Amino acid sequence: MRPIIAIAKATVGEAIRRRVLLIILFVAVMLLFVAPLLGVLSARSEKTVLTGFVLGIVQLSSAVIAITLTVYMLPNEVERRTIYTIISKPVQRYQFLLGKYFGAVSALALMMGLMACVTIIEFGILQNDWAKGVELLQGIGMFFIQMSLLASVAMCLSTFVAPLVNFFLTGGIYLIGTLGYAFFDSFNKNPNAPAFSKGLAWFVSTILPNFASYNVQNKLINPETMITNPVQYAVNAVIYGAVYIMIMLIAGMLIFDRREV
Amino acid sequence: MAAAIETKKLTKSYKSKAHGMVDVVKQLDLHVEEGEIFGFLGPNGAGKTTTIKMLLSIIEPSAGEGYVLGKELGDFDVHKIISYVPERPYYYEYMTGMEILKFYGSLFGITDTARMDMLLEKVNLHRDKTKTISQFSKGMQQRIGLAQALLNDPKLLFLDEPTGGLDPIAHREIRDLILSFREEGRTVFISSHELSEVELICDRVAIINHGVLERQGKLTELLKGGRVEMSVSGVKRGLFEDMKLTDSNIHEIPQGFLFDVPEESDINSIVDGVRAHGGAIISVVPRKKRLEDLFVETVSAKK
Repeated sequence: MRPIIAIAKATVGEAIRRRVLLIILFVAVMLLFVAPLLGVLSARSEKTVLTGFVLGIVQLSSAVIAITLTVYMLPNEVERRTIYTIISKPVQRYQFLLGKYFGAVSALALMMGLMACVTIIEFGILQNDWAKGVELLQGIGMFFIQMSLLASVAMCLSTFVAPLVNFFLTGGIYLIGTLGYAFFDSFNKNPNAPAFSKGLAWFVSTILPNFASYNVQNKLINPETMITNPVQYAVNAVIYGAVYIMIMLIAGMLIFDRREV
Repeated sequence: MAAAIETKKLTKSYKSKAHGMVDVVKQLDLHVEEGEIFGFLGPNGAGKTTTIKMLLSIIEPSAGEGYVLGKELGDFDVHKIISYVPERPYYYEYMTGMEILKFYGSLFGITDTARMDMLLEKVNLHRDKTKTISQFSKGMQQRIGLAQALLNDPKLLFLDEPTGGLDPIAHREIRDLILSFREEGRTVFISSHELSEVELICDRVAIINHGVLERQGKLTELLKGGRVEMSVSGVKRGLFEDMKLTDSNIHEIPQGFLFDVPEESDINSIVDGVRAHGGAIISVVPRKKRLEDLFVETVSAKK
């Protein structure tokens, strides 16, 4: 456990100093601050548009941060030879990989935490709508699980795929898992669908992670979604995410353990 | 003396699209004794780093066997008593020298800051311990690398190009540190291109070329076979034939002749012979065989 924590801490230290991530975070925070101005432009309920817009900014910027942060993590360590000074010490490769992953997730938590603070300031303090603020925090919480899941996918792929390919691959998986999941899932369940299409739909809806289930708070994207038992829904989403993350990390560890670095 | 490193027919092969299976390291039989500074030499792509990675159990050998400090390759426990400083390593730039030591120490569970202070002093970085790595020169980065490598008090250190790209002063500092490791009883395994450096500090060397071990032994033995160069005047070429100088190269120079003979030749007899024939000795210069000569001779023989 000790090496994992040490590597995770060093990873956080590096991540929060990466300029590209800080720029994305800065732009996101700026957009969050100007978000209230955009609500008035919509014909729909101002609050709905505003919350949807805020969640959209948090989701998009967090996804870009999560992918950018994780796809280069292992390749950089190999290229810069830092990995050799670490795994030549009593550190197993799986500990190295877990340290990097938990470091990435912790850095994400810090950055998303900052965005959460901005939304609280905006809704709770400036608009005195604490209920909306709490609702948004729940949404950001769900996004954090989504981003942890996304980071685990990128981390797993980074054990055998080049960073640039990984960037687009993980981005593609995220897009399909977010926007196309419901479509493929319904196609998979349609008994009249052609076998090939059904097979493809099965593959997408079963093998690829379901990122869409973490997006239900955004009424702009999911206006019809009604959750009868939010606690149960959140628990299920957390369990699904945790299991999927575990599978991704185990797969990554097995591949990384056999990979020649 | 016990062996710090012993390999028997150690081989590493990779699949190449163009050439099928390619042996990067072929049947390597290395022997490094405890407490010595061992130079592992070879041109670029000879298989030096691959060998080090196998010895560190970072990669698995395709065939053969090896032992590091008596433990079979792949034995995780050996990582507690060895250390490695790769060529031009990168350390987290935002950390200070002290933080680097704390980070690497935490991988072993070492939290003794007094020891870290002592190590910073040993590598002459105690005055710079609050500077971040990004403010360090190349030489300072190499020294912090050595300090982190000493954290676990290793019995065996692997140093890959420890003086590569450093200025003469930094060279000397690193060289002195490596020599101090031998005095402390550590074994040092150096992979390097800096042949003059290796010649100065190593007890034994091995030369690897195209993955094959070409030479291995004590430097003093490997560098036998120097020449003595003499320039003489007032003699005729026929004298050298009369003196029966075997294995000599004779060149005419404006003052007379320049010739060289093996260092083990009886130089006094040659001098006496020249004088007896009315000649004069202008100079006698011993030309010691250098590691560079041995290296070039070994490597170019295989080209």
